[in-house]
Amino acid sequence: MADGDRRDPRLDRRDVLKIAAASAAITSTLGVRRVLSAGQAASPRFFTTSEYSLVDELAEEIIPTDSHSPGARAARVAAYIDGELADAWTAEERNEWRDGLAAIDDLSRRTSGKTFLEATPAERVALLTAIASKEASPESAAEKFFVTLKSRVAFAYYTSEIGIHREMEYQGNVYLQEFVGYDVRTEK
Amino acid sequence: MPLLRFLQTPQPDADLTRTYDAIVVGSGAAGGMAAHVLTSKGLEVLMLEAGKKLDLDRELKSMEWPYEHPRRGQMPPGHHALTLNEYTIRQPPYGAGQPYDKVYNYIQGGNGADYSRNFMVDEKDHPYTGTRYAWVRARTLGGKTTIWGRLALRLSDYDFKARRRDGYGEDWPISYKDIAPYYDRVDRYLGISGVAEHLPHLPDSIFQRPTRLTAAEATLRAKMAAMGRTVTPYRAGVTTDGLEHNKYRSRCFGRGACARRPGGCDIHAVFDSPTGLIYPAQDTGRLSLRTNAVVREVLVDERTGKASGVAFLDAETGRAYEARARVVVLAASTLESARIMLLSKSQAHPNGIGNSSGHVGHNFCEHIMGPGVRGLVKDRIGAPRTIDDGRPGGFYVPRFRNLKERRTDFIRGYGFEGSAGNSMFAASDQPGFGADYKKRVRDLSGAYIEMGGFGEVLARYENYVALDPNTTDRWGIPVLRFHYQFGDNEKKMCEDMANTAQEMFEAAGFEIVGVSRTPLTEGWSIHELGTARMGSDRRTSVLNQFQQSHDVKNLFVVDGSSHVSASCQNPTWTIMALAWRSCDYLAEEFRRGRL
Repeated sequence: MADGDRRDPRLDRRDVLKIAAASAAITSTLGVRRVLSAGQAASPRFFTTSEYSLVDELAEEIIPTDSHSPGARAARVAAYIDGELADAWTAEERNEWRDGLAAIDDLSRRTSGKTFLEATPAERVALLTAIASKEASPESAAEKFFVTLKSRVAFAYYTSEIGIHREMEYQGNVYLQEFVGYDVRTEK
Repeated sequence: MPLLRFLQTPQPDADLTRTYDAIVVGSGAAGGMAAHVLTSKGLEVLMLEAGKKLDLDRELKSMEWPYEHPRRGQMPPGHHALTLNEYTIRQPPYGAGQPYDKVYNYIQGGNGADYSRNFMVDEKDHPYTGTRYAWVRARTLGGKTTIWGRLALRLSDYDFKARRRDGYGEDWPISYKDIAPYYDRVDRYLGISGVAEHLPHLPDSIFQRPTRLTAAEATLRAKMAAMGRTVTPYRAGVTTDGLEHNKYRSRCFGRGACARRPGGCDIHAVFDSPTGLIYPAQDTGRLSLRTNAVVREVLVDERTGKASGVAFLDAETGRAYEARARVVVLAASTLESARIMLLSKSQAHPNGIGNSSGHVGHNFCEHIMGPGVRGLVKDRIGAPRTIDDGRPGGFYVPRFRNLKERRTDFIRGYGFEGSAGNSMFAASDQPGFGADYKKRVRDLSGAYIEMGGFGEVLARYENYVALDPNTTDRWGIPVLRFHYQFGDNEKKMCEDMANTAQEMFEAAGFEIVGVSRTPLTEGWSIHELGTARMGSDRRTSVLNQFQQSHDVKNLFVVDGSSHVSASCQNPTWTIMALAWRSCDYLAEEFRRGRL
C-alpha cells in the first residue's frame, strides 16, 4: 500500500451481510468460494481420449506445476477447453483444434520419430521451444496453432480457482471499508 | 431467493385512454432525468422504454468469480460479439450473413460479456446500413446507464464557446454559468467522487470521497505536475459516501467489479437510471412506465402542428398502440431520437418533426479513441500483491492542448483515461512457455500501466444519419443509414495523442511496452452526439437552449443529440445537467399554459 497503512481494509463478514440485506446483493457470492472438484474429466465431450491426453500434456508444459502453485493439469484446463469446443457454434473452431493437434504430432514425428506424448521430456521441450520461438510471427500450421492453444490454456488457467487465488494470489473482489492506495488529499 | 429490498409503492399502469402531461421516450440518463424532474414538479408522466425491465441485481452478479460461471463469463453457444477486425473489414448491417443465432456489438466481447448480454440489442433484429460504425445499443430499462463507464466530467466555456477561440463550428446557446447550478444538482442528487483540481477547462464537481491512486499512478501524477499536466483520480459517477435521500443505492465498497466487466453494479453505488432516477420518480405516484414499447413516431395534431402523443409497437407482440400527451420529450439516445424525428412525417412536418432546418441527423459527432500507451513500472515487478482494482476507475488526464498555446496541426483537444496495478485478470500475454512463462506472468501482471486518449471529433454537417429507404428492423421500422467518417483534424490529433502518451510515460520513468497509434472504428467511444443540435438560429439548429424544438413548442429532445460540439469530456453528466435545466423550464412553461 502506497501510504504505508497496514490495517486490514476488508469489512468483516457481519458488516457485509448487513450491506447485502440492505441492498439485495446476492448473498451466495459473499466471498464464499465454491470448491470445485478436481480430477479427470469423466469422458471428453469433443476430444478423442488421445487428443484429450495431448491437450492435457501440452497445457501442463505451458503452465506447469511449480514450487509456487499447481499448474494447468490441476486446474483442469483440458476439461474446460473440451467443453468450450463441444459447445462451439462453428465447425471452424473445432477443426482448428483437431488439425492443430495433428500438426503438433506430425512435427514431433518428423523431429523425433515419435508422437508428442511418446517423446521424452527433453524432446517435448525442444519441440515447443522451436514452435514458441515463432509465436510473434507464426508460419507453419503447428506454429499458428500454438498461438491459439496457448491463449486458450492461459485463459482457462488464469480464470480458474487455482490460477486466481493460488498462482496470482489475487486480493480483490472483497468488500472494503476504505479504498486502498495513495490518497491525493494528503498532498500539501 | 434473494433478500427482498424495499417494497416500492404500487405503480400506476400505463393508461392509454388518458392524456398525460408528458410522455418521455427512453429511460437512460436523459429519460430518467426527465422523469425525475417532471414528476417532482407535479406533472403526470408516461415513460416508454423499447427494451425489457430486467432485475439489475440478478443480471449483474457483480462479485461472481469467473470459475463460478459455466463459461467463465463468456456468452453461450450461438452468441457472438463483433470484433474490431469485423468492424474494420465488414460493412453494416453487421448481423447479416452471420452463422450465429445472435450477434452483439463489441462491448459484449470483453471480460464477463455474459453479465450484460441481456441489456444489449441483437444486431440481427436491429440492422443499420451505410458507413462502418460500431453502434452500441442497450434496450432495457436504464439504457446504457446499466453498463456505462462511470467517468463523470463537466464541460467548460472552452467547450461551450470554442468557436470564439478557434473560429470553427458553432458556439452553444448557453455558457458555463447557465449550466453550473444544474451540474451541482446532479452531483448532489446522484453522487460523484473525485478531487478538486481548480482547472478552468475542467470545472470541479461537488465531490464525495475520492478513489485512490495506485503506486505507479501516484508516480505519474507527481512527474506530470512538473510538466504542468494533471493526473487526477477517476471522477466517477459513483456514490462513495452514500446518499441519504435514495433508498435504492448503497455507497461504494471498493469491490472493483466495475473495472472487471462491462460496467454495472449490483448494489448501485454507480449511478444507473433505474435506481438513481426512475424508482424514486415512481415513488411520487406520478410516473407510469411501459417497457417493450418501441416508439416509431411522434403524432401531430394537423390543425396546430403540435405534438399530440406517440405511436408505438409492443416489442413482443408487434401490436400497434398510441399514447397521448400534452408534451412529448424524446430521450431515446442521440441516434434513436434523430431516427424518431425523421420518421415523424406529416403534412405539417414533411421532412420529419422539428426538421424545418434540415439539420436533424446532421452535425453528428463523438469522441475518437485508440491511440495510447502501455508501460512497465520497474519497481513494481515481483512486488507483493496489493488490491488495486477495488475502485470505479484509475486516473484521468484532462485536456492540455489548445488552451494557452495554439497548435498549427489541429484544433481542440483530448484527455486520457488509464490505470495501473493488479486486477483479477492476469497479464498472460507474455512470450514463451513453462515455468519461466508462468513466473513472468506472476511478476509482471501488477507492474503495467496503461492509458488511452479520448479526442473531440469536430461536428460537421456532412457527417450525418438518414433513414434507409430499403431496410427495416424486426418491427418493420425503417433503419438509419450512416454517412459518417473521421476527418483530417481527428487524424492529426491522434498522432499527437500517441506521441504525448509516450512522452508522458517516458518522463515518469516507465519502460514503454507498446504504443498504439491507430484510431478505433467510428462509434467505438459510445459517445455519439449532435444529431439535433441546439442553437439560437432556427435555420441552422433544431432546438433552442432549453432543448425545445424551434418548430414545435411542445416537443423537447433532452439527450445527447442536442449537443453542439462533442468536447473531449465524457457526456453523461452534461446530458443530465442539461436535461434537468430544460425540464425545469418545461415544467414552468407548462404551468403557465404556454405549451
